[in-house]
Amino acid sequence: MTAIEIGRLLRAGTTGFVAGCRVSRIGTPSFGALVRAPLDAGYQIFGLIHDIHIDDDGLVRQLVTTEEIDQAVIIDNRVNRNVPIEMSVLAVGYQQDGNIHHLLPPRPALSLDVIYLCSAQEMRDFTSSGRFGYFRHVLRSSELPIGDLLAAHINQVQPVQSEVGNEAWALKATQELIILLRDDYPALMSVISTLADAVPGNWEGMS
Amino acid sequence: MEEYIGYVVGGRLKENLSVRLVVPAHQVQEGAFTVIESGEWQFYGLVTDLILGATDPRFADEQSETRLPIPLANLLHGQTLYTNLEVLPALMLERGPELDSPLYQEWLQAIDSGERPQPRPLPVKTIPPHHAQVRMASQGDIAEIFGEIGEDGNFVIGYTREQAHPVCINLDKFVQRSSGVFGATGSGKSFLTRLVLAGLIHYNRASVLVFDMHNEYGFDDTASDTGERVIGLKTKFPTRLRVVGLGSGAQIRGQTPDFNLEIAMQDIQPEDIELLTRELNLRETTPTTLDALVATFSKELWFKRFMELKPGAVIEDEDGKKFPAPDSVEAWAHQAGVHPEAAKGLHSKMGPLFRKKYIVEHPASDTVSEIIKALEAGQHIVLSFGKNESDLDYLLVSNLLTRRIRQVWEKRTNDYRTSGEGEPRPLVIVLEEAHKLLNREMAAQTTFSTIAREMRKYYVTLLIVDQRPSQIYDEVMSQLGSRISGWLGDEDDIRAVLSGLAGRDALRGMLARLQPKEEVLLLGWGVPMPLPVSSRRYDERFWSELLGKPARKRGEDEILEELGF
Repeated sequence: MTAIEIGRLLRAGTTGFVAGCRVSRIGTPSFGALVRAPLDAGYQIFGLIHDIHIDDDGLVRQLVTTEEIDQAVIIDNRVNRNVPIEMSVLAVGYQQDGNIHHLLPPRPALSLDVIYLCSAQEMRDFTSSGRFGYFRHVLRSSELPIGDLLAAHINQVQPVQSEVGNEAWALKATQELIILLRDDYPALMSVISTLADAVPGNWEGMS
Repeated sequence: MEEYIGYVVGGRLKENLSVRLVVPAHQVQEGAFTVIESGEWQFYGLVTDLILGATDPRFADEQSETRLPIPLANLLHGQTLYTNLEVLPALMLERGPELDSPLYQEWLQAIDSGERPQPRPLPVKTIPPHHAQVRMASQGDIAEIFGEIGEDGNFVIGYTREQAHPVCINLDKFVQRSSGVFGATGSGKSFLTRLVLAGLIHYNRASVLVFDMHNEYGFDDTASDTGERVIGLKTKFPTRLRVVGLGSGAQIRGQTPDFNLEIAMQDIQPEDIELLTRELNLRETTPTTLDALVATFSKELWFKRFMELKPGAVIEDEDGKKFPAPDSVEAWAHQAGVHPEAAKGLHSKMGPLFRKKYIVEHPASDTVSEIIKALEAGQHIVLSFGKNESDLDYLLVSNLLTRRIRQVWEKRTNDYRTSGEGEPRPLVIVLEEAHKLLNREMAAQTTFSTIAREMRKYYVTLLIVDQRPSQIYDEVMSQLGSRISGWLGDEDDIRAVLSGLAGRDALRGMLARLQPKEEVLLLGWGVPMPLPVSSRRYDERFWSELLGKPARKRGEDEILEELGF
């Protein structure tokens, strides 16, 4: 199966990185998706997309003030724009020599390293390893929309876990979140309410 | 495999242990007997409270099940809302290394060779660590602590409330010290007493003398609340138990007792009268007057002679002047140097006694001696008061009889200690409405308080049956070994029953919440640890379990088959 490339690394730190991609690839990555950045042999960093943003450039600024914009101009601007679409990724773990760790990566990825969307198997491998240790990194990032990020992530992972019969994965993940957040009422209720909204109807089948 | 109900999350040796419950709260009740497993030790405790908790009170305040999908709400509640148990640790028992560990065999060998003491339940001196697992006691655990059914002296008194495991009391231990059966009116005290008496009589290691004020225990009776027939002890122990009726020709529940008790006037002593101060409304001059009576007429004759004196009898001399007649109370008073009004007053107040038909000059037989002989010979006596069931009758007769018995048992014990032969048979005196004889004012005067305090050494103990334990003198209460209590509502009564026991604060609420007629709390020295139990039913099943099934009449076919036809 071919790996789905979603962009290349723009800048990186230990806790996360930002990837850039062309508009033509905007349909592939999504908020909450699990991505990976392979570095040298046997070492790759995993992350969750927590923000996708599109910066303006000078031409766009001029164009938005125009009365009528020709469709060809819009397409040209999108396809040939100089400023990439940026995806902010939160580092949630890494793999080294086949072993998955839910820890911050020892060293970040380098500029222009290719970022891939994780396949179903990679998602299963990463999310089934250990006991949801990677939730720590999400919960620590208070500036992020934690509830929505986790809800989106759980929504994306549950179907691939269900494919191999792990129907209770979302419940286990939620239970772990409750354990981690039970001393923080506002945060827990925010996350739980978001989960309830994000996975409507699906909970009944999981009990 | 035992199901764990929780794990230890905190606590103190001097208070309670906190246990986080992992099963629904309704599966555990107050008073549940729990076992805490902790390495080489096993702890036994009693659930004294159940507390609802939340990691944050807002989780409890918010009805999140109305906002969230049910599975999600259940998950949330499972992690944020909880029930904690308060467990009163009572005993600990060494259970050695794990069974599959090589150290276990070494441990066993050390016990077999006597290097280590045989493990036995000890009072708690330490506590289990955090997260030690807690489970409900199994039948084996209960047998380990309260004794095996069928073992000599063990008598099933009830069943654990949740799992209905039988709980025994040891009758040998029960009779070693004075004991008490308590409970408010209607709490099933009489049935409980019947159970215990049946156990004691069947076990037959001690003789039992019951002062049956309300004629409940000897012959069959009718339950005061349900109206159902209640089997009397005489019905089930026809040869072992003698029913004695007070007074000549007394009938008890329409049946004739085995023999009748009459009190000889010569047996009545001044202290017997002093004991009746409240009932007869005697004055403070009474002891002086009684002393004078004994000095004048002797210890044996004073009662009869005083009864024969005529208050107010006068004679006239030739001049018509009136003098007290020689057989008058006043004449005796003048002669003995007693104030005539005091003597007259005492005579008048002793009138109810003079009119008692069971007090006679010459009893038809020496029933008191017969009772003592029967008790010594291993029989059991129920003394039914028949129609003479006033407090006056009860106080006088029970005290007088017990005094005689005490003298005999003291002498027997002293003889036994001197010669080493003829060990006295232990005797249990069952005292109903005990507060009438053992209250603060009376305790010093009656024989019973002496028995409660000292007579254990002389093979005599009391079984006190009472509804107002707070009225019983503290010194007597503190001597009670085993206590079996039904429901008590009065705070003072509860305090009295729990006096001198560890963990009484925790047990107080338990006593007030016992189910009347259904549950009792076992307490005190005679039981290894306090435990509420569902009391055994006093019914045909009880009797068949105690005495074995009555022999069935075999049919003709069965007999022919046995003979080979």
